[in-house]
Amino acid sequence: MELRVIDKTDEELRLEIAGEDHTFMNVIKGALLETSGVAAATYDVNPEQSGGQTDPILSVKTEPGTDPLDALADASRRVQDLSTNFTSAFEAAL
Amino acid sequence: MAEDFEVEFIEREDRKARFLVRGMTPAVANGIRRAMVADVPTFSVDTVRFVENSSVMFDEMIGLRLGLVPLTTPLDDFEEGDVVTLALDVEGPATAYSGDIESSDELVQPAELNVPIIELKEGQRLQLEADAVLGSGKAHAKHQGGVAVGYRHLHRVEVVGDANEFEEQEPNILRGVIEEAAAEHAADESAEDGALVPTSEFDNDLTKRYPGKDVEVHDVPGAFVFHVETDGSFTVEELVRRAVESISDRAAELEEKVAI
Repeated sequence: MELRVIDKTDEELRLEIAGEDHTFMNVIKGALLETSGVAAATYDVNPEQSGGQTDPILSVKTEPGTDPLDALADASRRVQDLSTNFTSAFEAAL
Repeated sequence: MAEDFEVEFIEREDRKARFLVRGMTPAVANGIRRAMVADVPTFSVDTVRFVENSSVMFDEMIGLRLGLVPLTTPLDDFEEGDVVTLALDVEGPATAYSGDIESSDELVQPAELNVPIIELKEGQRLQLEADAVLGSGKAHAKHQGGVAVGYRHLHRVEVVGDANEFEEQEPNILRGVIEEAAAEHAADESAEDGALVPTSEFDNDLTKRYPGKDVEVHDVPGAFVFHVETDGSFTVEELVRRAVESISDRAAELEEKVAI
């Protein structure tokens, strides 16, 4: 996972996340949308065959007062918590 | 995102399981499914050195077949990129089976012993040495640990009225698992509201479950029935656990990198 910031303002972030695909991007996007202070979040990937930009680009817009990088860190935290919760629920069901 | 999950097994064997997860978003369900298929690594033959191949097939074709033999993969003991050497030596007349493969590591063995590799006639011989590499399904489908991994919504069937009694009822096919919500109309006497019933119990035909009734099928929001089957490299539990872990690891990496 290699990050490259394309655009960064107080309330907007465009970030290239090299080496990831829909598997992770859709999960993190989902988590971002549920994070407080996030106004909009999406990602875009081009298929392998298209040539050119094929690494996903994550775009986040936040409400005033929230730094998009902080929101992204929160969302990552959220995904980890969720994984822990799922694993323990799964193990309890075994 | 609902933070509390509820998991319930409907069917559970070593290599095949069905379980219900409640409180999940489609994004997470699909993330786990994709991770199970493409991100959990398994051992698979990658390089073959032929000592003798007097069989009727080219080396490349034998190599391809060897790649598709599932090998047991204890993920605690290996890292991605690790190599284990295997050997095969069979002389005709005989069929070379995956069970004839000898491994240099006790932990990495053919998961299935009766996969035919090639039939050898009198005087033919296959002798080779192969390197199995731990790689992920993203690189090559032979490394996929999960085969037939998918999910469906949990269904809830509502009885909305009686069917036309002068007309023969058409079959109403539904596949998956239903959450019983109209036990009083069910053909099965022991039906109980809230019970999980695989549709295969009534031939996937709702008219057999609720004879003479008109029904509507709804998806239960946030409830997914996963069907997971592995190729024998590891158990279903291991596969699910590793898939979730791989997503979690990536989130941790992202959090760390964002902080800098």
